[in-house]
Amino acid sequence: MLHIFDTLRDVSTASIVFRLVLSWILGAMIGLERSYKNRPAGLRTHVLVALAATLASITGHYLYLGMKVTSDLTRIGAQVIAGMGFIGAGTIIKTKQNTIKGLTTAAGLWATGVVGLAIGSGFYEGGIIAAALILFIETGFSGLAARITVAPEISVRIVYEDKAVFDNLIRMTKDLDVTIVNLQITHLPDNKCAAILRLRGNSIINNEEFLDLFRDVDGILSAEYMDTKRG
Amino acid sequence: MELFHEFNILSVFVRLVLAMTAGGILGYGRSKKNRAAGLRTYMLISMAACLTVLLGCYDFEMLKTGWAEIAAELGMKFDASRYASQVITGIGFLGAGTILSAEHQQVSGLTTAIGLFASAITGLAAGMGLYTTVLVVLLLLIFSIEVMYPVEKRLKRRMRQFTVYVEYENPRNLAEIIDFVKEKNATIFDVDIERTKKDDEHWPGAIIVLRLAKESTSHSEMMTSIAELSCVHAVKELVS
Repeated sequence: MLHIFDTLRDVSTASIVFRLVLSWILGAMIGLERSYKNRPAGLRTHVLVALAATLASITGHYLYLGMKVTSDLTRIGAQVIAGMGFIGAGTIIKTKQNTIKGLTTAAGLWATGVVGLAIGSGFYEGGIIAAALILFIETGFSGLAARITVAPEISVRIVYEDKAVFDNLIRMTKDLDVTIVNLQITHLPDNKCAAILRLRGNSIINNEEFLDLFRDVDGILSAEYMDTKRG
Repeated sequence: MELFHEFNILSVFVRLVLAMTAGGILGYGRSKKNRAAGLRTYMLISMAACLTVLLGCYDFEMLKTGWAEIAAELGMKFDASRYASQVITGIGFLGAGTILSAEHQQVSGLTTAIGLFASAITGLAAGMGLYTTVLVVLLLLIFSIEVMYPVEKRLKRRMRQFTVYVEYENPRNLAEIIDFVKEKNATIFDVDIERTKKDDEHWPGAIIVLRLAKESTSHSEMMTSIAELSCVHAVKELVS
């Protein structure tokens, strides 16, 4: 470990102030990046999490090293890890489309809490490296995550008159190696039917030409995408 | 190589980066599928889990060196694995938040929860310096996710037993639907009535678990023929 921190490893007034200030700075750096991206948990939340975790860790260490009470110096700090899991679970939101939001925020808060613990224990090297890696992950990989995403499933709504259309349709999807994972049929007036097909397959399902293949099937009157956000 | 198995700033850095990379590899496939937990979530959790182990190691090192006098005086009341053990509880809670119960008795988010859990534990192993273990576990996890999962999906689609949700005009139609399914030589295992009356948005509906006769070919065909009944408004396959 680095020797420049040696004087700050014990619990003293100087090291307590140093730890709190350092954890404030690291929490603020991580939080600012989030604020900048306009995420729900920003500067204030991250600073509070980092400071609180640091203080929990200092308390645990002070009991043993400062007050010389027989105790386990890691116990108080360790519970922060479980506690932050709880709080993180509370930040997860269920959307109307039955998907979830806020998981990356929860993970980021949790990681910030662990960084706070490391600083509070005097493990400055680990805390600083980890904070730098958090910033690296948040800034360097958010674009990549969006780029590699391909919608693996797509919903197509077709309107048809004749039930025989399904024989052609099943043949067409088999040829393209696209599978029908879900099928919802609704009867419309004028003897027409509408079917919502949930399809899974290769990247072909993301092209507009894919719909033309549907329109070419005998008996299909119209075909359109159901999802507003694609690929 | 000794250097990487001791506790020093180099091994701390290497382990944190290893944990982050392992999380990234696990999260890559999930990001691609546009799941709630993607690349960044996996990387953050795996890396922070790794830090908790290192934190335990740090305290132990300090009790042997800088804090040795106090440790001798009070006795070593200390457990280096305590931080790491709480990761298991903490990430379990976080995972519970991702599990949703959707309509028609379906559950989603279970794979996300387990994936996060697996990446946290991989991070713990990386923090301990179990480099070979991390590699083996990564390979096994990738195999399960990338190879076994599609195989399972394919099998499920070919299985004779499956579940459909049917919406129909009138509560009395259910008997007609059941008779029709039986006529097609399919066996019915369970019928669960969800709604008996029509409300503003929904027709009465039921969940039917059925098993196709051997000669029948696909789920889609069964579903389209159910939809051909004039009393049926919607048919939907429920995939768990």
